[in-house]
Amino acid sequence: MNDTDFFGLRELITRHRILLCFNGPISRSLIEEIGNALKNYLQADQARPSAVMDVFATYIEMTQNIRHYAMRHGYGETESSATIVVAREAEQSAYLVQAGNIVELADAQTLVARVGELAGLDKATLKAAYKEQLRRPREEGSSSGANLGLIDIARRSTRPLSAQFMPLSDGKALFSLQAVI
Amino acid sequence: MIRRNQNSIMNKHFNIPATRSTPEIIADWDAGLVSMAGDSYPENSFEFFTSTIEWIKTYLAEAQRPLHLELRLIYLNTSSVKAMMDIFDMLEEAHARGRAVSVDWLYDPQNERVEMLAEEFREDCSFRFDITAEA
Repeated sequence: MNDTDFFGLRELITRHRILLCFNGPISRSLIEEIGNALKNYLQADQARPSAVMDVFATYIEMTQNIRHYAMRHGYGETESSATIVVAREAEQSAYLVQAGNIVELADAQTLVARVGELAGLDKATLKAAYKEQLRRPREEGSSSGANLGLIDIARRSTRPLSAQFMPLSDGKALFSLQAVI
Repeated sequence: MIRRNQNSIMNKHFNIPATRSTPEIIADWDAGLVSMAGDSYPENSFEFFTSTIEWIKTYLAEAQRPLHLELRLIYLNTSSVKAMMDIFDMLEEAHARGRAVSVDWLYDPQNERVEMLAEEFREDCSFRFDITAEA
């Protein structure tokens, strides 16, 4: 990276009030290490204990979903990469948690539709959906775990979740999920 | 009949120390007490909680004394929530058969999320389930 790009990247990080960003293959221990750093940043940022927990929980569910998905699909190191951004909103005391990863194109479409459904639900309906999902039997290799995680994130969010994807060349897509806490 | 299979001897008393992503779990057969404390967000919660679930199952089947859970759990990922729900379901079933089971969940009043989590579990339980702020 040349110096201009480097300073540009730094400027971008500062302008978006990014507390933490990561891009690369993510392991179980890395999730814990980054999560720990995130907790420390949030506490130093004077976030309320409940906000620290909501941001941390959102980060954990997003990254563990990414790990489970990559493992289920037998993805290699490059495809298992995750992009994670945690930022503070300028005006309000809100935090933004965004995570992206490579998924199969069909799954990206399903996920965006699912997030769209959840975004339209109020807190009481989300709670009912969460309890219903919790009572469903575990299925080996299914996406039921991810469903519970998505509902959990939606319940902790102060604004509707948003998701996007960008198709890649090989039948895959770059998926991104954003939550505001 | 006294069953002395390897499993029940192994499960009589156990102590799993806490890690950053898993809680401390102590199971005391003689006291009829299971305590759990800390955060729980392992990648595979189902696997992590298996020994505890087996212990409780064995205790409820073999011992005739009450069972008490003392919980100081803080953050649970969704798969840990599912595992805890399985545990409370076993207690609920035992309670329906007339066994004495109870839960004490102690939380730091600074963090209302823990209280909310405990209350959501309690909604599905009809045995004694106390949620208490602990300074």
